[in-house]
Amino acid sequence: MACIIALIVFSVMGLFSATHRQLAKEAFDCVFRRVTFRPCNTGFKEKIRGRIVGKLLRRSVKLAKFSNKYFEVFAWIFFLLTVVSTGYTVKGGYNFYRYGSCNGLNQGGFCAFDPTGKNNTTSSVTDGSCPNKQPTAEDLTLSSVDLGLFQSKKVDSENNLVFIGCYSCDYTRKAYPVVKKLLEKKNVNYTFIHFSVKDENENLPLYVYSASKIDQNKYWRLNDLLFEADKGDMQSQEKIEQIITKAGYDLQAIKDEANKEATKQAVQKQIEEVRKTHIYGTPTVFINGKPIVGPKPYRVYKLMLK
Amino acid sequence: MNDSWIQSNFPILNKRKNIEEFVYFDNACTTLRPKSVIDAMNKYYEEYPVCGGRSLHKLGKKVTDKVYETRFLVSQLIDARKEEIVFTRNTTESINSVAHSIDWREGDVVITSDKEHNSNLLPWIRLSKKIGIVHTTIKSNSDGYPDLTHLKDLLEKYKGRVRLIAVTLSSNLDGTTNPVAEIAKLGHKYGALILVDAAQGLPHQPVSVKRLGADFLAFSGHKMLGPSGTGVLYGKKKLLEEFEPFLIGGGTVVKSSFDSYCLENIPERFEAGLQDYAGIIGLGEAIRFIQKVTYKEIARRDLELNKYITSYLRSIERVNIVGAKEPEKRGGIVSFCVDGVDPHMIALMLDEAGIMVRSGQLCVHSWFSDKKIQGVVRISTYFYNTLEEAEYFAKTLSNILKAV
Repeated sequence: MACIIALIVFSVMGLFSATHRQLAKEAFDCVFRRVTFRPCNTGFKEKIRGRIVGKLLRRSVKLAKFSNKYFEVFAWIFFLLTVVSTGYTVKGGYNFYRYGSCNGLNQGGFCAFDPTGKNNTTSSVTDGSCPNKQPTAEDLTLSSVDLGLFQSKKVDSENNLVFIGCYSCDYTRKAYPVVKKLLEKKNVNYTFIHFSVKDENENLPLYVYSASKIDQNKYWRLNDLLFEADKGDMQSQEKIEQIITKAGYDLQAIKDEANKEATKQAVQKQIEEVRKTHIYGTPTVFINGKPIVGPKPYRVYKLMLK
Repeated sequence: MNDSWIQSNFPILNKRKNIEEFVYFDNACTTLRPKSVIDAMNKYYEEYPVCGGRSLHKLGKKVTDKVYETRFLVSQLIDARKEEIVFTRNTTESINSVAHSIDWREGDVVITSDKEHNSNLLPWIRLSKKIGIVHTTIKSNSDGYPDLTHLKDLLEKYKGRVRLIAVTLSSNLDGTTNPVAEIAKLGHKYGALILVDAAQGLPHQPVSVKRLGADFLAFSGHKMLGPSGTGVLYGKKKLLEEFEPFLIGGGTVVKSSFDSYCLENIPERFEAGLQDYAGIIGLGEAIRFIQKVTYKEIARRDLELNKYITSYLRSIERVNIVGAKEPEKRGGIVSFCVDGVDPHMIALMLDEAGIMVRSGQLCVHSWFSDKKIQGVVRISTYFYNTLEEAEYFAKTLSNILKAV
C-alpha cells in the first residue's frame, strides 16, 4: 500500500523534479509487480519505511516503534485519504468547470482554481438591512415574478436568460460583457433588470424606465452605454443625461416621462417585483429559471443553456 | 597521528561540527580524500595542465616527471618494478585488461573464490560464454576462508588447463584476507597464473607482490584516499611484454605505418590515450599520505574499531555477523544482518542519523544468491574513523532495533 501512496505522491512531485521521477518509477515498478501478483522485490517499500521511521527515530524511539509497527495501517489510512481527496479534487475540478466554483453552483468557500473567489463575489443587496433570515441560493426564484414589467428581447428561443444587476456595481460590470457575448453567439430570450445596490443617482431608475417606455430599440443601446461609462458617472445627473442624449433620446421627453407619478409607481413596482426573487447580490443571472450568482466565466453560462 | 591531525587533513571532516552531522562508514566503497590529494590535483590543473609523455616542452616534462614519481611510489608500495605498473581507471578495468589480454583457448580454466566482487567474476563468466573457457569457484570454509583442499582438488581435476587463479586479497563482503601466498604457491605448482584483486586489501595492509606470488595485481586509487578514476594494474614484466594490449592507440606505439605498428615498451603500451594526469598525480599524494600515516597505525585503528563494533553487535541476539568471528580477521569491515529486517531499511535509518553505511549485496550477488541471503549492512572503517563514531553508531543502532 505504501508503494501506491508513494506512486501518487512521487508522480506529482516528479512533474517538477527528476529525482522524484526516478522514485515514481521505482514505486510504479513495485505497484506493477504487486498487481500482477508478484512480490515487490525492489526494496522500495523498505526504503520508504526506513526513511520515515529513521526520521521519527530522531524525535522519539517510541514514536518510531509505533510507526514501524503500524506502518501498513498508516499506509492504508493514507491510501484511503488519498483516494477520498482525489475524488474531491476531481469533483472540485468538475464543479469549477461546470459552475465556476469548486464547491458547486452558487457555493462559496475556498477553491484552489479560483483562490480569490472572484467567480462568486457579488455586490450585496442586503447591506444595511436586517432581514429575519439571510437569503441563500436555494431561495432564489422567478416563479412569482412578473417579468412582463421589465424590458425583454424575445428571439423565439427555448432558452431564457434574466440578468439582474446594477449599473454601478463592479461584479455586474464584470458579468455584463460575458452575458452580452453569450447573447450575441446564442439564441436566447433576454430580460434585463436594473436593481440599484450602490449609491446611484435617484433619477437613474426613473430615466431608464422612461427610456424603455419611449423607445425600446434605443433602450438596449442606452443599457450598453451605461455599462461602458465610468461607474462613478452613475451618481452624476449631468453625466447620466449626457449618456441618455448619446443614446439618441430626447432628454426633455425622458425627463417629462420620469416626472410622471405613474412612472414612479411603475419603478417602485419593479423594485418590489425584484425583491420577490430573494436576490442577495448582483449580478444574479437566471438561465431557464436556474439562478447563477456572481460573475461566471463564459463557459458556465453556455453550459446552462439547453 | 592523532584525531585532530587527521581532521585537519580532511576538508570534509574539518567542516564537520559534530559527529551527529555525519559519520562515514562506507570506506570500502570509496574513502575520503585528504587535502594534499585535492591540492595536488588542483595544482596540476592550475599550473601545468598539459600532456605528459609526448610533448617536449617544460610543462609537458613536468607532467611526465610527476607521473613517473607516482609510478615509482606505486612500485615501491607493492614491491614491484616501475615498468610493471600500468595506470588504469580502476580495479575493474585492470582485471578486464588481463581478461582481454590473455590468449584464451576453449577449455582453459579460471578459478576464483566464491565471494568475488562482480569485477572479478563477470569478465570470466563472459569469457566462458564467448570463448568456452571454464570458470569455477573455490568453496569457502565456515570461517569465510577459501578451502585450499578444494582448490587443490580443482587444480588436479583441471590439471594442465588452469590458466588463471583470480582471487581477492581482502573480501569487500566480510573483510576476510585470503591466504593469497598459499593459493599462489599452489597455483604456480600447477602452472596457473595468479591475479590478485587488492582493491580492499591494499588500503589496509602492506602488500608485496613478490611475497604474495602475484603475477597480476589490481587496485583502485579511490579506495585508498586517491582520486576516483584512478587504478593500477601490476603485471610481471615478462607477462606484460608477452601480452597484446587490450586497448591500443595514442601513446601505445613507437611508430606506425598504414599497415603496421610497433608497440611502445611496457608499461606505456598498456596506457592508451591521454591519461588522467591529475588523478595519477593525486594518487601519488594519496600513497604519500598513507605512508605518513603508516600501515601499522591503519591496522591498529581498524582493529580498535572492529573490536568495538563486533563486540557490540555480538551482544544483540537478532544480529548475525557475516564472515570470521574474530575482528582481527576482518580488517576494517563488519557486515551484519538483523533477523527479519531489510538491510536497506537499517541503512536508511542509520543515514537519517547521519551514519553512512552500505547495504544490500555489495556487488557480490553470486554469494548472496548461493547462500539465499537477502543482503547485509556493511560498516567499513578507515583510519580517520574514531571510537566516538563507533559508539555513536552503537547507540543509534540500539535505538533502531528498539523501533523495528
